[in-house]
Order: sequence, then structure tokens, then C-alpha cells
Amino acid sequence: MSALALEDVHKTFGVTPIIRGVSLEVGKGERHAIIGPNGAGKSTLFHLISGRFPVSQGRVTLNDEDITGLKPYQINRRGLSRSFQVTNIFPKLTVFENVRCAVLWHLGYRYSFWHNIRKLNDANERAMAILQQIGLADRSQLPAGVLTYAEQRALEIGITIAGGAGVVMLDEPTAGMSRSETAHFVNLIRKVTEGRTLIMVEHDMGVVFDLADRISVLVYGQIIASDTPARIRSNTAVQEAYLGQALEAEH
Amino acid sequence: MSSTILAAARPNPVLDLLRRYGVWIAAAGLMILLPKVFSSGAALTTMCLMGIMIVFSLSYNMLLGQTGMLSFGHAVYYGLGGFLAVHAMNTIAGGKLPIPLPVLPLVGGFMGLLFGFIFGAVSTRRAGTAFAMISLGLGELIASLSLILRGFFGGEEGITANRTKMLTLWGVRFGPQIEVYYLIAAWCLVCIAAMFAFTRTPLGRLCNAVRENPERAEFIGYSTQMVRFIAFCVAGFFAGIAGGLAAINFELMNAVNISGGQSGVVLLMAYIGGIGHFAGPILGAILVVLLQVFLSDITGAWMLYFGLIFIGMVMFAPGGLAGLIMLHLPLWRRGTILQVLPHYAAMAVPVLMGAAGLTLLIETAHHQLVKTQTDGPAMHFFRLGFDSNTPLPWLAAALLLGGGLWLGRLYAPRLKAAYGDAAHGVEAAR
Ligand SMILES: Nc1ncnc2c1ncn2[C@@H]1O[C@H](COP(=O)(O)OP(=O)(O)OP(=O)(O)O)[C@@H](O)[C@H]1O
Ligand SMILES: [Mg+2]
Repeated sequence: MSALALEDVHKTFGVTPIIRGVSLEVGKGERHAIIGPNGAGKSTLFHLISGRFPVSQGRVTLNDEDITGLKPYQINRRGLSRSFQVTNIFPKLTVFENVRCAVLWHLGYRYSFWHNIRKLNDANERAMAILQQIGLADRSQLPAGVLTYAEQRALEIGITIAGGAGVVMLDEPTAGMSRSETAHFVNLIRKVTEGRTLIMVEHDMGVVFDLADRISVLVYGQIIASDTPARIRSNTAVQEAYLGQALEAEH
Repeated sequence: MSSTILAAARPNPVLDLLRRYGVWIAAAGLMILLPKVFSSGAALTTMCLMGIMIVFSLSYNMLLGQTGMLSFGHAVYYGLGGFLAVHAMNTIAGGKLPIPLPVLPLVGGFMGLLFGFIFGAVSTRRAGTAFAMISLGLGELIASLSLILRGFFGGEEGITANRTKMLTLWGVRFGPQIEVYYLIAAWCLVCIAAMFAFTRTPLGRLCNAVRENPERAEFIGYSTQMVRFIAFCVAGFFAGIAGGLAAINFELMNAVNISGGQSGVVLLMAYIGGIGHFAGPILGAILVVLLQVFLSDITGAWMLYFGLIFIGMVMFAPGGLAGLIMLHLPLWRRGTILQVLPHYAAMAVPVLMGAAGLTLLIETAHHQLVKTQTDGPAMHFFRLGFDSNTPLPWLAAALLLGGGLWLGRLYAPRLKAAYGDAAHGVEAAR
């Protein structure tokens, strides 16, 4: 049984095909990385899976349940949560409130206007526990907008994992970070996605080969290879299309 | 030693209660005492209007301030609530039904909720500008219907009722204004508390999240449309209660109460008071009612002043009155508030000069344009008599206004620096 499966997914913007027939299967508990050159359509693929854009053609299933055409919130409720390449938080709400809002639905409070939020111990404790995990506990009462870039990236992940989704998708979580921040972040990601399925877009090959169980290479809207890190590394087609330059850029 | 630690660990229940509910107890006390201090008929009427408008503007801010929905048609729910309440009053009195007056605002609330539900289902499908336009359209639709459906809205004259004809409870007939005042005050306090409690619920917080970043809210499991819709219904409910209170207070509802103008006024109240803070619309409602009452007494051009104050607020204090107060909270905490007071006093000179110049300009122009034909060119400005046809008042107005602006700009940097020092300390300012 797969956690997430794509069957021949296409996306065209106007007449321009961006995703050109992607099929992909990610198993339960797998850490799957998607790599590829800029503009290959990685983020677009994430948008299609998470319901931000409708697919033009094809099928997406989450835990063998068809989620094609569902709204983002419906997909989120079924247990898929994602982060964004460009930080996407609630800037004027406190850091704590950012995370607490993200746990409410999944604890069953939904649209309640009959619970006093201060007395919801489960929500408050869970939010605090997540802040501790992502290292923002001492920032909890600040407006999220005043955090440093790295802290906002951590909060982005905190919001994403807060609901307890079984499938977590991270779009370039370490983009724009220094080397030491990145190392710290890899540990963080490993920690918070323990026991979940992780799908991640990443440009940093160190992070990819460190974290991923399997890697898919997306080039110009198509997956040209999907395999274990060792075999991807030695795949000549991948070398030519992407990895050669990417690994060079590392050094 | 140990006894003090124990005492600190076990808080005094009375103190605890005071800390938690002190503001509410104080507000209730204030509402009870106000009519003892301001007991004239005019003051009572004004305070009744304030209570109604506080509920109305707070309900509006559930949309604008809390959820980020700019509505141009909120008077629809206020007006419909009021009209249904007036009809209910007549029906109850006619049929001798055993329903007492104090529950009547609930009838208004129900009407507001019902139409919030119907119109909300349509308009909250969209956000931002589209929502604002739909609200404007619906507002105009109902406003024009109010002149067509004479049976329900009573045409230009409106519908009247008599509140004293209802079931009497404990001998209170709500004839005298003071009894109506206490009824409004009680409803006002309950509504404030309920709307405040709403901000502290899961939905209340999600409203803020939807205001901040609707897209992200969809990715944490929430339908932004549903959040906006429920907020819209609840706001409609409280607007309807305000309308019901208005019906009791005036014993009359007419087309003005449901017009686009009324929708504009509630926007102004919320904005002038400050939409970013829960208490802002309360301050705004109080100030706007005061302005309406006093300015309309003094000058025929009061709407113009009203507009100027609004523009000034948008330009110089977008956080509204509440925002200005919040700006000075850190100074209060640091104990540096006294440091800036002399600078404010100094700034008051150019501000007053400019205001006097502007007022003179408006009054002279108003006299020239509106009143010369009937009253002749002679006019009064703060007991100063002069001829509005001579260049003297114009010149004086220009001098005052220009001088005030010039001096104000000259002094503004020093005021800013003084505020900065007081707020962040001299070191931080450098
Ligand atoms: N809403 C849109 N409308 C039209 N074209 C779009 C839209 N979104 C993305 N594109 C195009 O689709 C292509 C793929 O974009 P996408 O953001 O998915 O790439 P990516 O693989 O995530 O790249 P990067 O590594 O730079 O993040 C780009 O050429 C982009 O210009
Ligand atoms: Mg991308």
C-alpha cells in the first residue's frame, strides 16, 4: 500500500505544458526526495498534489484514496500537509498562535466558537511541544513576522507538521540557509518526520543524499529516474541532465 | 520567608477575580454610574445611542478587523433587525402576547442572523475586493427595496411602535428614557463580553489567521470560505441585536437606518476607533456619536468635519484611537510618559492654530455658499462677529492654517525624536 501515488499527472498553464505525465509511488514511511533543475516543475508538482492547482489530467491518491480535484483543506484533513518554498506563515500572529492554529482542526475543534481556547490544554500543550521541537519555544510570544529568516523557515516546518499529518511535503526547506543552519535543519527534519512519510524538494545534494531513501529526478516536467540514492548517483542520464552540475556546484 | 512564598503561591481569590474580571466590573460600574453624573435628557439620549452604536461597530469589526472583510453593507443586518423588532413590538402589543420588551433585541438578532446566513452564503464565496463589491451591491439592493416594500419598511416615514404597550415585568414599563438606558447598557455589556469571548475561541483565532494569510489557512485544514461565512453570520446576529436596541430606543425605524449612509457610518466608527484592537470600535462609536451630537448642534457643515477627521485619521493614525493609545503603552510602562508631555503641549499650539484656520475657512465658506442669501453676509465665529464678504476672515484663516502647518512641520521632527527617546531609550534611538 502506498502513501501517495500519482498516475500520469499532467499540468498545462494556458498552452504551456509544465508537468508532462508524472507517475510516482511513495511508500509508507519512505523519505522521498525530488530533485531537478530550476523550472523543472517541482513546486508545481507539489501544488498539484496538495490541491493548490487542479491537475489537467491524471490521478492522485493518498493512502489509496482518490484526492484528485479536492480542495487544499480537504486534502490536509485527509492527512497530507505541505510547506512552501517561499515562507508562508501568519506574520502578525504570535509564533505560538501560528502553530496553535495549525493543530486545532486535527484535534477536532474545527469551527468551534464555544470553546475557550485558553482552556484547550491539548491544543496548547501540543503547540508548545512543537515549538520546543523546532527550537522556537523562547520566541513563542513574538509576532512571527519579526523572526529571522532561519527561524521563519523552522516555523514553516512547525506549522506543516503541527496537525500530525502522515504525509509531509517540504518544498526546499533549507533554501537560503548557511551550512551550519542546514546541518541543524537536517537533524530537525529527521526528528519531526519520524514515523511519517516525507516527500521533499531540495537543491542541496548533501541534504538529499543524507536524508532520502529514494530519489526522483524531475526534468522538464517528466521524471527521468526514480531510485535509491546510490543508483541515482551513478545514473548517466541523471548525470547529464542535472546531477553533474548540481554536484559541481556543491564544491 | 516561607510564609511569603506560600502566600505568593496561593493567590488571593478576590485579587485573582479582580485581575481577571476587573475591566468588566469597572465597565459595569461605569455604565451604572454614568446617568447619575450626566442626568439630563440630552445626555441620556446620547448615551443610549452610544450603547447601540458600540454593539453595531463591534459587530462590524468582527468582519473588518478580525477577519479582514471590508463590508459596505453592514447596515442591512442592523436595519432588518430593527425593522423586524419594530414589527414584533406592534404584533406583541396588538396580540397581548406574553413577551417582555427586554428580550426583543433577540428578535433583531435572529433577523440579522437569518439574513447574514442568506447573504453570507452568496458574498463570502469571494474575498477581498469582490466581497466588498458584493456587500455594496446587496446593501444598495436592500436600501432601494426599503423604499419599495412599503408594507414592511413603511416608505419614507418608516414604521413606528410603542414600547410601553408590552408585557410589564416587575412594574418596569420602559416609558422613561432612563429605564431604556439601563436596558441598552445591559445588552451592550453582554454583547461586548460575548464578542470578546468569540475572539478567544478556535474560530475567532482562525478568523485572524484567515485575515493574515488566507492561503496558508487552507493548508492547515480550514476552508477560508467557511470561516468567513460563520464570522459573517455571527456579525449579522450582533448587528441585528443593535438594530433591535435601536428599535426599542427610537420606537421608529426608517429607510435611513438601512441605507448605505448608515453602512458608511459604522465603517467610520470602527476605523476611527481602531480596527486592530478589540476595544477600538468602542472608542470609535463613543467619539463618533459625540461628534454627531455636538457638531450637528454647532455647525451645519458637520458632515464635512466628520469627513476631515476620518481622512486625518487614515493619513496620520491608521491604527485609530486604540492604535494611538497602544503607541503610548510602552512609554507608560517605562515611566517615560511625562517626558513627552511637554512636547505634545508645544505641538498643541500649531495644531490648534491649524484647526482654527481650517474651521474658520470652512465656516466662512459655508456661510458664503449656504447662508448669505437668507441671513446676509454678517456671521459669527466663536462669538466673533464679522462680514463674510470682506477678505479679512479669508486672510486670517489662510494665515492661521498656513502658520499652523509650517510650525507643525518645523516641530514634528523634535516630537518624533522625543517619542523615540521615551519609547526606546536615548541609546537605542542613536
Ligand atoms: N501559475 C503559473 N502560471 C504559468 N506558469 C507557471 C505558473 N507557475 C509556474 N509556472 C512555470 O512552470 C515552470 C515550473 O515552475 P516551478 O516553480 O514548478 O519550478 P521548480 O522546479 O519548483 O523550480 P525552482 O527550483 O526554481 O523552485 C516554470 O517555468 C514557471 O515559470
Ligand atoms: Mg520550486
